[in-house]
Amino acid sequence: MSEVVLETEGLTKYYANTLAVDHLDLKIPRGCICGFLGRNGAGKTTAIKMMLGLLNPTAGRARIFGCDSQELTPAICQRVGYVTEGHRLYRWMSVDRLEKFQKAFFPKQWDDKFFAEMIEYFGLSKKQKVKHLSIGQRAQVSLALTLAPNPELLIMDDPTQGLDAAIRRQFLEGMIQLIMRQGRTVLFSSHILGDVERVADRIAVIDRGVLRASCSLEQFQKAVKKVRVSFTREVPTEIDIEGLLHCRKGDKEIELVLVGTDEKKIAEWTNRSKAQNYEIVGMNLEDQFIEFTASANHKHLFRWEQIK
Amino acid sequence: MALWIHISPGSSKPIYIQVVEQISEAIAKSELKCGDRLPPVRKLAAELVINPNTVARAYTILERSGLVSTKIGSGTFVSEPKMRSRDAADINVLAERMDNVIIRGINLGIEANDLVEMFKSRVAGFGKKTKGRGKL
Repeated sequence: MSEVVLETEGLTKYYANTLAVDHLDLKIPRGCICGFLGRNGAGKTTAIKMMLGLLNPTAGRARIFGCDSQELTPAICQRVGYVTEGHRLYRWMSVDRLEKFQKAFFPKQWDDKFFAEMIEYFGLSKKQKVKHLSIGQRAQVSLALTLAPNPELLIMDDPTQGLDAAIRRQFLEGMIQLIMRQGRTVLFSSHILGDVERVADRIAVIDRGVLRASCSLEQFQKAVKKVRVSFTREVPTEIDIEGLLHCRKGDKEIELVLVGTDEKKIAEWTNRSKAQNYEIVGMNLEDQFIEFTASANHKHLFRWEQIK
Repeated sequence: MALWIHISPGSSKPIYIQVVEQISEAIAKSELKCGDRLPPVRKLAAELVINPNTVARAYTILERSGLVSTKIGSGTFVSEPKMRSRDAADINVLAERMDNVIIRGINLGIEANDLVEMFKSRVAGFGKKTKGRGKL
């Protein structure tokens, strides 16, 4: 694995008696765009806040550029960009004032020209007050404010929630532009899996606080399969196929959701079980995500670490 | 340039496969000719708004199949047809795909001879497209 810029070790958070994040062991290598996926309430925001040192973990730790998240120095913070849900900005400020305010935190690395160009590209004016901006425009300002210091690590927590398709695309463009600069890394959470598929080359899936996958997007897409198997007689009661996540049984047909089972193994199993025939059902990333997070009884982590 | 590639997220085909298939098709139709240069990885990634690693992955697959070759420092180019690999496994895959078409034809009630004629005219269609197509 190439250099890790962000990692968590046994990162855990309880809210009173509720376990929000459960021993998260995550590593984000430099140079990737990692989509952070999980259903509502899965623990994404809590995990991100702990990574950034904004929330204290109950147990475990997170590190950014090797520095413990609870002891982040200003020098480390300057290398990180963070976009929150909802794009909350000071309402009384103008875009111009916001720029000066934000720039003060990144005095040496602020790119004035880039910020001005982005504001112009978005059709905004620096004179405009935040309180007069729409949610989409606020999101655009927040993107420009975060990208202008040229962050080495960009973390975005559901940045495109509630935004129209055109503004969402601008966020994706922003990520692609950033990643093309040497050594940049992005972690972003989103529920729009079509967006994730476009820009991410890596994904981390969190389910009820537990990290269920951390691998390249391609590995995930190859690994999660749905197979429809039909029988001439009744379906077998015991289904002993490697990588079985869950299955749905019909009269003479079963649908298997498998993880990491290659086609040879599927063919062998169907042969052994005297199935009539089988078919691998095409699934897009969204189908795969839904099937993958649907099962209740398989909470263990699977993980591949062979990244180029 | 390069905007003829259309990405459909949400398809059951991963994006790198979509790129591979569309470039392969453009080469088969001579929309991309031998010696033509593919757009640089970063440029294509920016235009299509997809991850540069995804484009690089697609180019690697195209290179492995011999459709394109990379000259270090100058870019990725469409190869000469004779340089392209004719792997027995690839030919098998092709034969199997033909089977699918044949099965569909038979189920539609098309006679074997008519199927052959249809096939010929489709293939000839690709030949025609090699002429008079503008460069991309």
